[in-house]
Amino acid sequence: MRPRHSKRVAVTGLGIITAIGESLPAFEDGLFGGKCGIGPVSLFDATGFPCAVAAEIRNPNLKASFAPRETKRVSRCDLLGLIAAKEALLDSGLDLDHCERSRVGVVVGGGAGGMLSWEKFRRASWSGQRRPRPSLVLASSPCTLTDLLADRYGLHGFRSTICTACSSSATAIGYGLDLIRSGAQDLVITGGSESLSELTFAGFNALRLMDPDYCRPFDKNRRGLSLGEGAAILILEDHGRAQQRGVHIYAEVLGYALNADAFHMTSPDPEAAGMSKVMAKALDAAGVGPEALDYINAHGTATKINDQMETRAIKNVFGAQRARNLAVSSTKSSVGHCLGAAGAIEAVATILALSRQRVPPTIHWEEPDPDCDLDCVPNQSREQEVRIALSNSFAFGGNNTALVFGQG
Amino acid sequence: MGDIVFTGIGVISPLGVGRTRFWEACRKGRSGIKRITAFDTSPFRSNLACMVEDFDPAQFVPPSVYRRMSRISRMAVASSVEALADSGLDLEALDKDRVGVVLGTSYGSSGHVDDFYVSLLKGGPRGAQPFLFPETVPNAPTSHIAIFQGITGPNSTFCHNEISAETAMLYAQNLLLHHLVDVVLVGGAEELSPMLFSCYDALGVLQSAEGDHGDPVRPKLNGGIILGEGAATLIMERRDFALKRGARIYGELSSGVVTGGASAMGHYETTGHQMRRAILSALELAHLTPDDIDQVDVSANFSGELDLLEYEQIVAVFGKRKAELAVTPLKYLIGDFGGAGALRTAATLLSLHQQSPLPTVTAETLQGLPGRTLHWTVHEKARLNATLMISSTYGGASAGLVFTRHQENESS
Repeated sequence: MRPRHSKRVAVTGLGIITAIGESLPAFEDGLFGGKCGIGPVSLFDATGFPCAVAAEIRNPNLKASFAPRETKRVSRCDLLGLIAAKEALLDSGLDLDHCERSRVGVVVGGGAGGMLSWEKFRRASWSGQRRPRPSLVLASSPCTLTDLLADRYGLHGFRSTICTACSSSATAIGYGLDLIRSGAQDLVITGGSESLSELTFAGFNALRLMDPDYCRPFDKNRRGLSLGEGAAILILEDHGRAQQRGVHIYAEVLGYALNADAFHMTSPDPEAAGMSKVMAKALDAAGVGPEALDYINAHGTATKINDQMETRAIKNVFGAQRARNLAVSSTKSSVGHCLGAAGAIEAVATILALSRQRVPPTIHWEEPDPDCDLDCVPNQSREQEVRIALSNSFAFGGNNTALVFGQG
Repeated sequence: MGDIVFTGIGVISPLGVGRTRFWEACRKGRSGIKRITAFDTSPFRSNLACMVEDFDPAQFVPPSVYRRMSRISRMAVASSVEALADSGLDLEALDKDRVGVVLGTSYGSSGHVDDFYVSLLKGGPRGAQPFLFPETVPNAPTSHIAIFQGITGPNSTFCHNEISAETAMLYAQNLLLHHLVDVVLVGGAEELSPMLFSCYDALGVLQSAEGDHGDPVRPKLNGGIILGEGAATLIMERRDFALKRGARIYGELSSGVVTGGASAMGHYETTGHQMRRAILSALELAHLTPDDIDQVDVSANFSGELDLLEYEQIVAVFGKRKAELAVTPLKYLIGDFGGAGALRTAATLLSLHQQSPLPTVTAETLQGLPGRTLHWTVHEKARLNATLMISSTYGGASAGLVFTRHQENESS
C-alpha cells in the first residue's frame, strides 16, 4: 500500500528489564524460550492477599551499574526506567554530543510511578511518625522518569508524560511517531516503566481480578491476571536519519490509533466495539490492509472477560476465518501485567517477532476455550513469516491503543 | 499552526463555579486564596489554599452519574458539560469516533489514592475497598467525560506536574492537525485533597497566613506556593470545521512549544535558557515578535524560585519594553495545580474574545524584592490581538503558547 506520510519512523534502539530478563538479550531468550517470571512477592508483605504472586524483578543489585549519586532519591520505578534507557541508548549507537539536543524529545508512559515511595511516606505518617522523609514524596510524581531521562542525557526537546493506566506507554510510542512525522523532533526516547506497589497489588486483588497461581491467557480455566513490573525504552528516529548513519533498524513504526469504549470504568464493552475499532483504525493509519498482518501481540490479561472480548474484536476486524490463521499471543503470560510499562514491553516483544521472524508464545496454556478460539501460539515460540505486526493495549477507563509495526 | 480554534469554555474554579463567575472575578483581580476550612490544617505548617467552594455537581449531572466519582472527576465532568453547552455542538449529530477527550492533571484523584491505601492499612488485605480503586488512575476523570458524553474517539491523559494541561492541549492540537479528530474536549483538573496538601507541606514549600481566622489574607511574594484546585474544559476544533458549523470562536491557538532544561530534583530549570527558548520558539512559530504580544500570562506561583526565573526570561525577551511591562500571574489568584493551565487558557480566551484585558501586576513584582507587595491593576477595554502564555514546572520543563484573537476577515 501507498505510505501516507513522507516521513518514516524507525526503531533504532531497545532497552528492557523484566522478571524474565534484565537486558534485551536476556529478555529475548526468556520470551522465546517460554520463561515464566511469576513467583512470590518479596517487595512488600503480600501475606493475606487472595493472590500473593507477581512477576517481580528479583535482583537486589539493580543500582549496580550506576554511581551512588545517580540513584539517590530515585524511585524503583524510575530506576527500572533508567536501566532500560541506558541499554536502549547504547544499543542505538547514538552519540548525543553530535545530536541537536533540542530535537530530541522524551515521551514516557507512566502507571503508578513512584507509588512505592509514596506508600513508605504514607505508612510512616499513618503510623504516627512525625516527619516521614519528604524526598519520598518528590519521587512519586508520575512524570519524574521523563524529567530524569531528559536531565541525565542533557536533552532539551519536547517532553510529556502520558498516564492512561495500562495503555500509557503504547500511546507514548504513538505520540513519539507523530512528533517525528510532523518534523517537530528528529529523535524521541519513549517507552514506559512500572514497579510493583502495594496500592495496585491490593487494588487488583480487591477487584478479584488476579489469578492466585499464575495468569493463563486464552485458557479455558483462566482466573485473572498476574501483576508484573519492568521497563522498556525505545529509540524512535527519523528513518532517513537512521539510514544515513547506517545503524541497525529493528522495525518501522507504521501507525497507531487510540480510542475510548465510553462504556464503563473497569469492564470492557460487551460488543468489543472500542477494541475492534482501535485495531481497524491503527491498520488504516499504518496504510496496511488486514491481509498483510501476520501477528498480534494481544493485550491478553487472562481475565475472563478481556480475553473473550479481545478474541471477539479480532474476529470483528479480520473475519472468523482469517482470525483463526493469525498468530495471537500474550506476553503477559511471561512477564505479568506491567500496567504503565506493558505497552512498551509488549511493543519490544512485537518488534522482536518482526526482527527474528519468530512468534513468541502464550505460556501456561492448557485447555482450549471456545470463547478464545484463536491461535495463541501455545507454550512454544515458532518460526514463521512476520511481515506486519500489531500490539494491543487496553486500559481501565476504556482507553484502547493499538500500535502497528513493520520490518526494519 | 494557527488552524486551531476554541469554541466552548467550562470552568469550575476557586474564583467561582461556571465560566461567567470565574471570568468576572478574574477580570477584577479577585483572589481565591483563603485559610483552609475544608479540612483540618492543624497537623501542617501551612494553612492557605484556593479551594473550589459552592460546587454542586447536581447542577451539571444526575446524582446516579456522579455518586461514585472522585472530586476531580466531578469537577472535570461538570466543566465538560458547561463547555459543550457553550460551544453549541450537537454531539449526537457528530461522528463520536472523531471527537477526542484529552485532559492534564498532576495526580488525578489523590484523595481516592489515599482513601484506598488507608483502607488497606486499616483493614488489611481483605479490608481494602474495591470501589475506591478504579478512581485512583489519573485517567479516571477523562474516562468519565467520555463515558458520560458517549465520546468514543481518542482519549488520553497527560501528567506532567505544572504543565499537564499545556501538554494535553498540544496533544489535542496534534490530533486535530493530523485530522484524526474534528473536535477535542481538552482541559485540566486537580483536586486538592488533604493528602496532596500534606505532601507539599512536608516538602516545606507552602505559604502560611499569620493572624486569626477572621483576618484578611495577604499573600506574600516569595512567601511560598499556595496550592489550588479546579477544572476547565475547552472545546478545540480546526478552524474550517468550526466555521462550517457557524460556531462562535473565542480565540486561536497560534503555536505551542515544550522545552526542558537541567534542574535539581524538585526544582525549576536551573538557568531558564530553555524557558526562554520555549517563548522565542512559540513566537517564531506564530510569526510574531515580542512587540506583537499584548498580554503575558505567566505561571509564577509565589515560590520565589519560579517567579524570579520568569522575571529574568521575560526581561530578556521583552527587554525594550521593560519599563511598561505588565504580566498576569494568574496562579496568584487561583493557586498552583496541575490542570491550572486550562483555567489560565480559559481566562486568556475570554479576554481575547471580549477584548477585555487580564488584570496585571508590574513585571518587577515577580522579583519579590523585600518591601514589595502584591498590587493588581484592573483594565478597561483595550484592543488585544495576541497573548503569550508561559508555564514552567519543577523538573525543568517549560511550555510557551501563543493565543490570538480570531479575526472574522481571516475566516475565508
